[in-house]
Amino acid sequence: MAPNHPFWIRILLRAAALRASEAELGDVMEEFVAGRRTSFWLISQLTSSVRRRRSPLTLSERGAEMLSNVRNDIRYALRTLWRSPGFALAAIVPIALGIGINTGIFSILNSVAWRPLPVPEPDALVSIYQNFRGGPRRMVYGARALFSIPEYRTYRDEAQTLSGLMAYSREWTVTLGREAPQEIQGILVTCNYFDVLKLTPVIGTGFTPVNCGKLDAPPVVVLSHALWNDAFGADPHVLQKPIVLNGREVTVVGIAPAGFDGVDMAKAAFFAPTTTLEVFRPEQTFHENPNVSWVTLMGRRSENATVAQVRAELSLVASRIDQQQAGRATSLIVEPATTLSLPVARQNVLTGASIVMAAFGLVLLIAAANVANILLARAAGRSREIAIRLSVGATRRRLIQQLLTESAIIAVAGAVCGSLLFSWLFQLLVPRLLASLPGGETARVDAIPDLTVFWFAVGLTCLTVLVFGLVPALQASRGNVHSVTKQDAPAATGGRGWLRGSLIGAQVALCMMLLIPAGLLARALYAAHTLDPGFDQHDVAVVSIDLRGPRYEKGNAAIVHDQWLERVRALPGVESVALASRIPLSPGRSQTTLRIGDGEGAAVDMDVNTVSPDFFSLLGMPIVRGRVFTDGEIDAVMVTESTARRYWPGQNPLGRTVTLDNQRRQIVGIVRDAQMSQAPEAVSSYLYLPAMRGTQRRISVLARTRLDFAGFASAVRAETSRLDSNLVVNVQPLAANLGVLQTLSQITAGVAALLSLLALGLAAIGVYGVVSYFVSRRRREVGVRMALGADAGDVQRLFLRQTLRPVAVGMCIGIAVAASAARLLQSVLFGVSPFDPIAFIGAPALMLVIAAAAAFLPTRRAMQVDPMSVLRSE
Amino acid sequence: MSRREHLGEFEQIVLLAILRLGDEAYGVPIRLDIERRTGRSLTVGALYRTLDRLEDKGYVSSAFSNPTAERGGRSRRYFTVKPLGLRTLRASREALTAMWDGLERLVMRGS
Repeated sequence: MAPNHPFWIRILLRAAALRASEAELGDVMEEFVAGRRTSFWLISQLTSSVRRRRSPLTLSERGAEMLSNVRNDIRYALRTLWRSPGFALAAIVPIALGIGINTGIFSILNSVAWRPLPVPEPDALVSIYQNFRGGPRRMVYGARALFSIPEYRTYRDEAQTLSGLMAYSREWTVTLGREAPQEIQGILVTCNYFDVLKLTPVIGTGFTPVNCGKLDAPPVVVLSHALWNDAFGADPHVLQKPIVLNGREVTVVGIAPAGFDGVDMAKAAFFAPTTTLEVFRPEQTFHENPNVSWVTLMGRRSENATVAQVRAELSLVASRIDQQQAGRATSLIVEPATTLSLPVARQNVLTGASIVMAAFGLVLLIAAANVANILLARAAGRSREIAIRLSVGATRRRLIQQLLTESAIIAVAGAVCGSLLFSWLFQLLVPRLLASLPGGETARVDAIPDLTVFWFAVGLTCLTVLVFGLVPALQASRGNVHSVTKQDAPAATGGRGWLRGSLIGAQVALCMMLLIPAGLLARALYAAHTLDPGFDQHDVAVVSIDLRGPRYEKGNAAIVHDQWLERVRALPGVESVALASRIPLSPGRSQTTLRIGDGEGAAVDMDVNTVSPDFFSLLGMPIVRGRVFTDGEIDAVMVTESTARRYWPGQNPLGRTVTLDNQRRQIVGIVRDAQMSQAPEAVSSYLYLPAMRGTQRRISVLARTRLDFAGFASAVRAETSRLDSNLVVNVQPLAANLGVLQTLSQITAGVAALLSLLALGLAAIGVYGVVSYFVSRRRREVGVRMALGADAGDVQRLFLRQTLRPVAVGMCIGIAVAASAARLLQSVLFGVSPFDPIAFIGAPALMLVIAAAAAFLPTRRAMQVDPMSVLRSE
Repeated sequence: MSRREHLGEFEQIVLLAILRLGDEAYGVPIRLDIERRTGRSLTVGALYRTLDRLEDKGYVSSAFSNPTAERGGRSRRYFTVKPLGLRTLRASREALTAMWDGLERLVMRGS
């Protein structure tokens, strides 16, 4: 047993450590401890070491020592973990789950938010958007932050800091082919699109000054490699024969490189020059209009030009544009280009993603708390060894280093296993998930990891090590020499007991923060499945045709429309057909601003739907007062019950007027409330306008039919192609809209449930571990109590009470935090209040039951303690 | 080799101690061995000054062992003589022997 060194020796050593190497100090200590040397000898040796160096140890000398220390620590830690595989597994598995899951979700986010574009030298690309106020009235296709072609030309001609500037639009849907046309999506681009991206077509010339750039030139297109494979079988002769897009003959001038489908969120099947806009959409004549927002700008920085310099130069150009338009003030957003670059979209996605990642991070925290508990228990077992080492002068820092190395190895092992596992899993699941969401198949989202994801995992691992390793290391290295020389149990409930109890409390709190939102989401899912929307959605189909395109010029479209409606109405089994601008429960909302009463009344926002008179009877929506407007009754409107109650309380709303688009309209009927939009607020102000003929190009009709859906769909398709073989018709059951909502709720609830179960499992393991540890340390106390007459039940109750105290505290904290955060979830909680009592009571109850069970099991073991044997071993 | 360094007397002593101790050649036994055989007292600082110099010249190499509790959690630094050191030691011995040639009797008798 080593003697207890006076503190002044330790101080001397610490001072000497500045100038003397570890080996010298170690030698001195070794001889002093073994050789019965005097203190005088110690001091003179230390002085000689210190005097031989004129300067403190150089960085490289320290570095060499530190490196060998680290190597030894790693070897020692690996040996320790190898010798106790149970402990190693119990520590590594939760960490693997926590880090793996977070890395997986981050790689999904990374694929759209930060990954460089799949083109050569992507770091030099910047995307450009604008924010502006004032100026003349602006038409918006896509987002207000986009540019017009004339604006693009100004920037392109004047920018010196960019070696090239191109523009591209959002995706447009066109039909491919004449017989049995299929719908494909593509984008319109400027002629230098591929040049700026440094891509060359696989075959063909691509866009050249000859074939691209003039408004009246014959239309050309570059196809994506995927479309070329799927629709044309990779036929190299596709360049010779023109293809048919939207009924027009278009020449293919190139095939894009394999794997390239645009630089934005949606995959593009074709790339056509912006000048072909009117070819595809004859009514859109805004190509040369300077006041239309419809293209994104993307440029390649010149050598040595920084993003800041580009931003500064382009801002000057912007101010020149401002001067030419009275009252306009523009500010530019210039950022390195990523897939998700549109500022509003990027902000929304990142905000939503932060919430999701916070939830996943909670699971990691719970896992880390678990491992911290395990480490604390282990450290308690090594307290004698540590105390001895401290008493002979080992620096506390060195000890902490050794203990942290062990934690680091656990974390790295967990991170590697977890990241690999979940990366593979997510890559499998993400395409499947996307396919079940609307518009998901054409989204450029995946879970493939890259360098950014790797650094994220590294950073997360370091953080995790600190979270679960630092406190046990600090605690263990403190070492209390006096208490370990006596094998006394009270130490277990002394300082360390408090720490482990609060870790349990923290785990329970975090668990609550996951369980309660999961409960809310589950309730929302239930609500979505049992929703009564206020109208009869069964046996109703949504049929839509697209009358855009050059064949349906103004007058022509109305005629085709009428003929087609006649035919659909005449189909056998069709009971009624109605028009609607907004299909019930479709995503999005249409709102308009109108004034109550005459032109000077209050201005309010209302949801609006333009429908034919049959709409209400088709959907079984009862008219409570008044009547339905008739066909062509331009100045009539209908409102819902709650709208009438809100704006004309206590009065008869019939005959009242509202002013919309400077035209006075009279309320002729009140209809019952119904859930028309996907928004969770069931009650909003709703206005119905009579449909006007010939004003719509994309027509959607509701048809109530006695036929089964498949039969009806094929009948409609047959009839439509008999009328005009070029028309593409979509037939969906109305209930499918509700289905999408349910799918979204299903996915969200499913993920939340999975996370919560994981968290619950980890917390339960944590509680079980702590209680077993306490029980095993207090065997003597249990024996004494039982010998003094306590029965098994008393002792059990004692343990349970002490364990469940931190659990209860944790639950209260967790519930409070969850309540304040529930508001964030409101947009996803369809039909459920964010303070739903069932969720807020059910989740804690579940947690309590599980915690009690986890605490109960080890105490049962304690009951089997034989008091005599325990007392005898004293 | 063009220019050959020569060893100081103490450097030779330290090299010889390392050679003698073989696998056990670290600070404490080296110092104790030299003190016992030469009868001179040797401080830790002086010893390591020479050891570092020998390592800088490439005559010895050092490696660290596992830390031990008696040393307060510090590692031992073990030394081995490198071939260059052996050659230089041999050369010094030959030079010394050549100079001593015929003089042993004179010098050792007259003390």
